Amino acid sequence: MTDDTTSTPHEEENTTDFGFSRVNRGDKAGMVRGVFDSVAGRYDLMNDLMSGGIHRIWKRFTIELSAVRTGQTVLDIAGGTGDLAAKFSRLVGPEGQVILADINAAMLTVGRDRLIDKGATGNVQVVQADAQALPFDDNSIDCITIAFGLRNVTDKAMALRSMLRVLRPGGRLLVLEFSTPTSALLGKLYDQYSFQILPAMGRLIAQDAESYRYLAESIRQHPDQETLLEMMEVAGFANCRYHNMTGGVVALHQGFKA
Amino acid sequence: MTQHDPALISAALAGIERALNQAIALSPTSHDELAGLAGTVLGVEVTTVDLTVYLDIISGTEARLMTHCELPTAAFVRGTVEDFASLASSKDPAAVLINSGIELEGNSGSLIALQQVISRMDIDWEAPLVATLGDVMGHQIAETLRSMFRWGESAHSSLRRQISEFVLEEARLTPPKAELEYFFDAVQSLSMQVDRVQNKLEKLRAKVEQKRGQA
Repeated sequence: MTDDTTSTPHEEENTTDFGFSRVNRGDKAGMVRGVFDSVAGRYDLMNDLMSGGIHRIWKRFTIELSAVRTGQTVLDIAGGTGDLAAKFSRLVGPEGQVILADINAAMLTVGRDRLIDKGATGNVQVVQADAQALPFDDNSIDCITIAFGLRNVTDKAMALRSMLRVLRPGGRLLVLEFSTPTSALLGKLYDQYSFQILPAMGRLIAQDAESYRYLAESIRQHPDQETLLEMMEVAGFANCRYHNMTGGVVALHQGFKA
Repeated sequence: MTQHDPALISAALAGIERALNQAIALSPTSHDELAGLAGTVLGVEVTTVDLTVYLDIISGTEARLMTHCELPTAAFVRGTVEDFASLASSKDPAAVLINSGIELEGNSGSLIALQQVISRMDIDWEAPLVATLGDVMGHQIAETLRSMFRWGESAHSSLRRQISEFVLEEARLTPPKAELEYFFDAVQSLSMQVDRVQNKLEKLRAKVEQKRGQA
């Protein structure tokens, strides 16, 4: 791990953000994996506590906007504990298919077990995959969702290009991610919450303040609404737009493959 | 970008959807009727608050509410909150659809069928009480609630009758309905007589002008 205050332009190219720190690009995936290995078992409980259950509402709107229908193929990247995949499994029916993908084996194990418990089995595949190099055929997926996952990807532009490649023409990508609050007052409250309360909750419930500090820092490092919109357009997505939710704390970006 | 915060609307719809599905679950007699509407999507735009909501009847036991829907809609209705309240409570929804300010696109049949399913719903409120509190306690509480509800209904209708009698008969604040109808009939009859007299006068005037022209 290196500190960004002393980095040269050459080092900038070879490093990426990990929270507020700069790390070697090759090391980030392993470090993110470490964070999620640590929180996997209590990930859903912590999400409920940290967001007051609102993450379910954000995901509900994501499912609405996906307009997924019977028989379609849906890829849920960074699907973690499988809450979106379980809903998609019902929507696509037995003729369709849902692929739950995550780079982290611990999260996938939790997700797979949850899906079995919910009875979502016949039409769900669980795949350990890197969003930057998706192991799927070109033009094979109708809808891709990535909820609270893009900010952990080392090369976001590369991941967006990879998603565009596997989408069918007309298919859509939905990126649900923490973003930038639209009001200054909300932004200040949100900062206090993220850097004071969140790590304390992580320490109390998951006995892991550092992982939750990383989550808060990684949210601040993530591109804001307009920047991510531009990144999607540069990657080749068409008709890109976004919806701010809860005052911009979270944004849902949508783009189509032309 | 959407005007409303989608999270707020989604949260409200999630609560309503949960209550709706709970009500459907407690009304087994509605399941077959709703199953007949499975696959039907209805769109509702409430102009008062600039909000569009879609109802997707998934099966006889489940419905989904959405703010965004790309499925074809069987019917799409547009109106104010007051319009929809009168439609929901009406015994003759077809008349309300025709006479109110509600705009309808698509097939009104599915909308009327759904309104009738809702009005015929017979929700068994006792079932969750029995499931939670046991047979004896649940039944007793349900009986108490039912008798309170019956008393409330009876008291409400009695109060309405008494107020009506006081206003019409004792205080004479408004004329009785029969008197009012007689007055309207008399006004209508007078209006028709005036029209006939006016027509006769017009004819006479035309004849006089014709004779003047010949002279």
